[in-house]
Parts: sequence; structure tokens; C-alpha cells
Amino acid sequence: MTAAVNIKNLHKSFGNLEVLKGIDLEVAQGEVVCILGPSGSGKSTLLRCINQLNSPAQGTVYINGDPIGFEPLENSDLKKANQTILARQRSRIGYVFQQFNLWPHRTVVGNVVEALRIVKKMNKANAEKIAIERITEVGLLDWKDEYPDTLSGGQQQRVAIARMLAMEPEVMLFDEPTSALDPERVGEVIEVMKELAEKGHTMILATHELNFARYTADRAIFIDEGVIVEQAPAQEFFNAPKSERLRRFLKRMSM
Amino acid sequence: MEFEFRFDIVWNNFPLLLEGIQTTILLSLLTMALGTVIGLFVAIVRLRARKIFALPLIIYVEVFRGTPGLIQIVWIYYCLPIVTGLQLDALTSLVIAMALNVGSYLSEVFRAGIQGVDKGHIEAAAALGFKPGQITRRVVVPQAAYRMIPAIGNVFVSAIKLSSLCSVLGMAELMYQGQIIIANFFRPIEVFTVVAVIYLIMAYTTSLFMMYLEYKLAWVNREKVPFWQRFKQISQSAFQIKPQGGL
Repeated sequence: MTAAVNIKNLHKSFGNLEVLKGIDLEVAQGEVVCILGPSGSGKSTLLRCINQLNSPAQGTVYINGDPIGFEPLENSDLKKANQTILARQRSRIGYVFQQFNLWPHRTVVGNVVEALRIVKKMNKANAEKIAIERITEVGLLDWKDEYPDTLSGGQQQRVAIARMLAMEPEVMLFDEPTSALDPERVGEVIEVMKELAEKGHTMILATHELNFARYTADRAIFIDEGVIVEQAPAQEFFNAPKSERLRRFLKRMSM
Repeated sequence: MEFEFRFDIVWNNFPLLLEGIQTTILLSLLTMALGTVIGLFVAIVRLRARKIFALPLIIYVEVFRGTPGLIQIVWIYYCLPIVTGLQLDALTSLVIAMALNVGSYLSEVFRAGIQGVDKGHIEAAAALGFKPGQITRRVVVPQAAYRMIPAIGNVFVSAIKLSSLCSVLGMAELMYQGQIIIANFFRPIEVFTVVAVIYLIMAYTTSLFMMYLEYKLAWVNREKVPFWQRFKQISQSAFQIKPQGGL
């Protein structure tokens, strides 16, 4: 069975700063992987490179065997994909942003319907039916006709998750989904993500939520200075960290 | 001897002013339309195309924002035919000159409006599988258009007043017609007062129209208030320090 995500030798630099120094990572179908690491370690950049919001300098990301950002030629060489192909590939990858990034000019339903109509070319009735289902799943049916700026951060992030879910992505990426929230709003978003994990979705999360990583994730990965320092099944990762760097990081985070 | 206002002279010659109003409206509308096209073109090229293509446009914007409108109009009216050999009628060359002026301001309004759209909103669309054109149409334009309207209104109102400079070249618009009446009856104060009021009415009509457009394009109309009430809120808020009622 092909891996849901297969990242091979990923490099990325911003100017002279090398952010990712050769990342290799395989994520199985239905696996939940948490990426931990200090700020600036490259967690977000790694996620952004997976769906080409940042284009990697080197290396390839495969989603269910398909190289993202490339078009395989007949002689199995890779050609850089055009915008249409890239857009179609991105629609298979769900992405949840730290800052939610809901569109302010659309209501809650409008935000969820938009991609179904524009990208999946669904008719209005079908798109709205799916949107309402997803909004109900994240518990926001009563808010469906509100505009995002009237919602709390936690509610906005749940709408963003509903918007992503509606596209039925093969893989879900979460870029520090709770970092911009008030502490008392973190729980409601974590709850939604736990449900997704239990339903067997393939998820990669960059996060600082140690409890989520420990009890919900299958595997935890520690990234520092652009390389994977350590990875292990979640329990083992927290109970028996091997490297000194991870021990220090976990100690700092739990203080 | 006491000064006596003779507004009857203005009323007796009002048909002359009416002709002028028509020409002023025609000049202004054509200028706004062509200026918008120029402004959009310049803004988009400056944002999307390579530096080499943007450079001449930067020079264009700076030149037309940085020199007096009167000189631009005179220069294009007299010099363009000499330099290029193109023979244009007066209306065309005046509209081109004014549209270039208006376009230089509008291009900056459009550029700021487009750049002001949150990058995160664009990335969210890209991540969901929108193509670049779809992102522009569905995310950038709706947000940018709404935010740019007050600034566009400013430029349009100046365009109406800019058209008064065409009187210098004998275009029979409102200012020119007013000056004809003045030359015949030596009553500048009365005539200019009435002419100014007419410009004010045209400018305010434009402002009202832009306000209505803003009202129509606002995505959040929470209170679902009718336009005249919204208008009252806006007018009142002009006298308050605390901004009210916006988004």
C-alpha cells in the first residue's frame, strides 16, 4: 500500500537561511503525525512545502504516489506542473492555517460552499447540503449565516476545518491550529481534531499541544534546525526521549 | 455707492450655463471611464509583470501626479500633434489628457487596494485548489473593490473639477460658458458663485453615488438598514470623533 504522504529529501531556503535541510518522512494511511519543535525550526515550512504554498528548493512530496507540483511524463521523468494541475493537486490536500484565513466577505456557509462551487463545480443545492453537514459536524449550525468577524477565534478555526473537510481531502495538514487562540478556546478545536483522528483521517499537525500529541497522535516527530532529530510512537516519544535536544525541549515546554 | 448683487443676469443667461453643464458632464464621465481603464491596466502590470515593464509605468505615474494638470492638458492638446503627427479633435485630446491624469491617481488607489488584501485569504483559496484567476475573481476583487470605493470617489470628484481647466483651450464647458457671461456683463462674483454651486452639486452627486456603491458592495450589512438611514449614520458620524458604523 502506498504511503499517504511520502516526503523525499526536502530542502528549502529563504535567502541564505536554510530552513529545511533534507527531510525524509513517510506517513501511512490513517496515521496521525504531530510535528514538534521550537519556533523557527521549520515545522510550518515543511507543511507549506507539502502543498507547494512554498516551493521546495529540492526534493519531492508524494501524496498517494503522485508527486505534488509535478507532472509525471511517460518516461517517468518529472515536469513542473502548470497552475491548473497544481490547483487540482492542492484540492486533494486539506490545509488549516494558524490564522484561520476565513474570507471576510462570505458567511460561514459561504466560506464552506465556495470551494465546492468553484473548484469542484458542484451545483448550489448539493454544495450547500454538504456545507451544512460539515458545519453541523463542527457544532456551528446556529452560526451558519454569520460573517467570520462576528465569531470567536475557536469558532472561526472550526469553520476553517469544516471548509477543509468539505473538500474530502486525502491528507489534512494543520499548521499550529490552536496557537492563535485564547487558552479557553483551544479545547473546542482540539475536540474537533480528535474526532477527525478517530475517524481515521490522515493528519499531519505542527503543534505545541503536547497532550494532543501524546494521547491522540500515532507518532511524534521532533524537528530542530531543519532536520528531523527524533521520531517515535507518541507514548515512547514523551516517556523515553533519546536525544538531549528533545529532552531539553520537552522540559521547557512542560514548565 | 453700495454693491448690488445682480443674479438676474445669471438667470437670464442660464441656457448658456446649461450647455456648459452638458459638456462638463460628458468630459467628466469619459475621463472617469478611460481613467479607470488606464488605472487598472497600470496597477495590474505594476503588480504582476516584470520590473522592466513596470518601470515606464512608474515614470508615467510620477510625471502625471507631479506636474500641474493645466500644463498636461495644454501640452497634449498642442504638442502631441506636433510630436506624433496625430490630429485629434479637441474633445478627444482633452479626454486623453485628463484620463492620463486621473489614471495615474487611480492606479495607485487600485494598487494599494489589491495589495491590501490579506495574503492569508489568498493562500487559503490556493490551498483549496483555486486557480490564480479564480482567486482574483472570488477573493481579491470583492474585498479590494469595496475598500477602494471611498478613494475612487475622491479621484472622481477631482476629475470633475479638473475638467474646468479645459476652458483654457476653448472647450465650451461650464467654466468657459461662465467666463463668456462674465466677459459680456462684467459680473464675475455672481457668475462664479452660481458656477461653483453647480460644480458642488455635481461633485456631491458623485459622492452620493459612491456612497451608494459602498453600501451595495458591503458584505456585512448587519442591521439590514435601508440606504437613506445608512446615509444619515454616515453624515452624522462626520461630526463625531469616534468612527462609527463601518465594518
